[in-house]
Amino acid sequence: MQKSGESVLYSRFHQQYEPRGGDVMKKFWIILICALFLPVAVHAAESKIELTYWTHEDPNRTEIENRYITEFEASNPGVTVKRVTNPSKKMAELILTAFAANQGPDMFNLQIEDEYAYIVNNRLAPVDYKAAGYPSDKAIYSAYLPKVLDPVTFKGKLYGLPLELTNWCVYLNDRVFKDAGLDPDKSFPKTWEEMVEISEKITIRDGEIIKRRGFDFRYPYYLVAMVPMAEQLGGKLISDDGKKAIINDKAWIQFLEFMKEWGPNGKNLGSPTYTNARALFNKDNNDIGMCLSGLYQAGRIRKDNPEFYNSGEWRVVPYPKFKNAVEDVASAYYGHYFVVNAQKPKKNQQMTWKFIGYMLGHSEEYLSKVGLIQPTVKLMESETFKSMPYSGVFKADMERGHVVYYGENSAKIQDHIREAVESVMLAGATPEDALKNLRRKVQEVLDEK
Amino acid sequence: MGLQLIPVFFIGEERDMTRRIFSPDIEHKKARWGWVFIFPSLVFFSLFNFYPIFNALYTSLFRKKLLSLKPPEFIGFANYIYLFKSPDFWNSIRATVVFTIGTFIPMVVFSLIFAVFIISRKRFKKFFQMAYYSPAVLSSVVVAAIWLLMFDPRGLSNQFVNFILNTPGVDHKWLANSTMVQISTMLVYFWKYVGYFTIIFLVGLASIPQSIHEAAKMDGVNAWTGFWYITLPLLKPTTILVSIMSMLQCLKTFSTQYLFTQGGAPMGPINVITLNLYNTAIRDHRIGLASAMSIILFCIMLFFTWLQFKGSRSDKVSY
Repeated sequence: MQKSGESVLYSRFHQQYEPRGGDVMKKFWIILICALFLPVAVHAAESKIELTYWTHEDPNRTEIENRYITEFEASNPGVTVKRVTNPSKKMAELILTAFAANQGPDMFNLQIEDEYAYIVNNRLAPVDYKAAGYPSDKAIYSAYLPKVLDPVTFKGKLYGLPLELTNWCVYLNDRVFKDAGLDPDKSFPKTWEEMVEISEKITIRDGEIIKRRGFDFRYPYYLVAMVPMAEQLGGKLISDDGKKAIINDKAWIQFLEFMKEWGPNGKNLGSPTYTNARALFNKDNNDIGMCLSGLYQAGRIRKDNPEFYNSGEWRVVPYPKFKNAVEDVASAYYGHYFVVNAQKPKKNQQMTWKFIGYMLGHSEEYLSKVGLIQPTVKLMESETFKSMPYSGVFKADMERGHVVYYGENSAKIQDHIREAVESVMLAGATPEDALKNLRRKVQEVLDEK
Repeated sequence: MGLQLIPVFFIGEERDMTRRIFSPDIEHKKARWGWVFIFPSLVFFSLFNFYPIFNALYTSLFRKKLLSLKPPEFIGFANYIYLFKSPDFWNSIRATVVFTIGTFIPMVVFSLIFAVFIISRKRFKKFFQMAYYSPAVLSSVVVAAIWLLMFDPRGLSNQFVNFILNTPGVDHKWLANSTMVQISTMLVYFWKYVGYFTIIFLVGLASIPQSIHEAAKMDGVNAWTGFWYITLPLLKPTTILVSIMSMLQCLKTFSTQYLFTQGGAPMGPINVITLNLYNTAIRDHRIGLASAMSIILFCIMLFFTWLQFKGSRSDKVSY
């Protein structure tokens, strides 16, 4: 019997398109394998963690931290750490912008004056002590020097661990001193008045233009380097109860008078408009005699100018004080604290604290290779610290100093001090007028709260 | 003067006749396609310009901290009242006005002079155009950084001025004196943008038909009279455009002042509105107050834009 045309077509269609038994089985196995591996793949994707770490530029630290990252990633499969560096002046702005858009990194470090606002605004996660490698919160406090964790303790919770605690002393170039006919062993400045006298001897001018400065301040950092000068004279930035701005006008006016005399309209010994002294110091180009900096500066001299570093023609001397000082205050110390973004998932936060704990486990290497003091009791008593050139000078000055003023608006207060100092140094304002404006502005900041 | 106006009206009539050749249908069709073509840019503009403006207006009515996770508090016009009572804000208005007047007037005058100078050259026209325009293509940050180095007491500016004036060793305190620092910011801005406005004037000058000048020449008009009585009146729309554009540009100035203050210059004399706004938002985290500042600046700029439209309508010229 002949098949009808329709049935012929139907059978051809089925021959072509109907799945055969082998094909069905193949598909079944593929689906089964996929179904079995799907949870594994999902789990693998979930267990992958990428941590972002934003920090300021420091070539010496980059070298060791990149190694820590490699080691940490190797011992924690599935974890990757992306380290992003930015110029230190830009850090506060970049992090603020990122947090304002809820896109902050997993972890970062800033100076406490800039960082404190993140703590009080609940943007940071408390320290996960277990992940950071401590048996309890108390164990962390006892591992560090007293009071150094106070700036990151808020409402009984700890929010950060210190990457560094830094104070500034005076770095002195022996060659410049000798060139000016001074003996650096005997005539290094112990008071601010001596600093003026010595600077006048060292300074070389072409008319009004300074070719070589004896010393110059670190101008953007008024809270660290200049508030202590007013404090030496009995002044205070904020009253003890935190309600009143600018205590002891006489002290502040003497300080502002000193700065006015230092500037181009006075004795013309330095100015914020000249290249910053710390950056010039390492080059040893006979253009700066002294500058203010931290212990880390030694590591930078070693890297930038090994000949100068090894020459032994530089030294560190304590932060000076006024002849009529009523308080023996050295430069304030400030901390850079590692903190963790509270908006990241819990597993990221935990892993970030683990990573921070891992990095901070190398505090002796941070000290010897970068010159950063992570103020643990263990480190401060270690041979590594004691054998660091001039660590004793920094330690003694740290004992004379106190932590820098920090608060939600400390960056703003610092800018107001800057305006006051610049107005007397550059804009011809009288210390009395500058102080009046400073008081009004700082008081307004305090009242804002 | 009357004789010189004749060709201007004649050319105007000739253009009107040309326009009548096109039928209204074609005009409408062209207009429809015009809307189609500008639609993407309208969407883009609405998204990236209108939305931020309305958002800033809304935010300016709240006490809002940049880092705070708490809901912002509605305070009505308190931010505006605070600003109008703040001596710092009035100082910023002063700094902005001084900078704007001190920069845009020389910029308009000199860009016109440079444009006339270039257009009157027989050779090296392209070279001069490029030479004047090249600073405009540089980033403002790079420009400010270069000038910051030049204004260093040991930098080129002191050396150059002392060489010219034969005053060795004088520090002109480019950044270290409240008057000089204002002049320095004006100088940088002038240097950067004068070429840009020169090019706009060049286009304006080139669009004046040569026949007008030729006719005037035949009537015995000399170059100076021709410039005052023919070129300048016919260039009026371009002059208004340039003056308003440069004024708006000056009102928005930021990077020069920002970099100079970072480089150690005193902030008070050059604390223009945009710099104050930036510090209020980024340093002080007071985004509500900063938004109010930006709205005030926006209103000032809107006023001058309105002035531009008004000016360009009343000063139409036809050749």
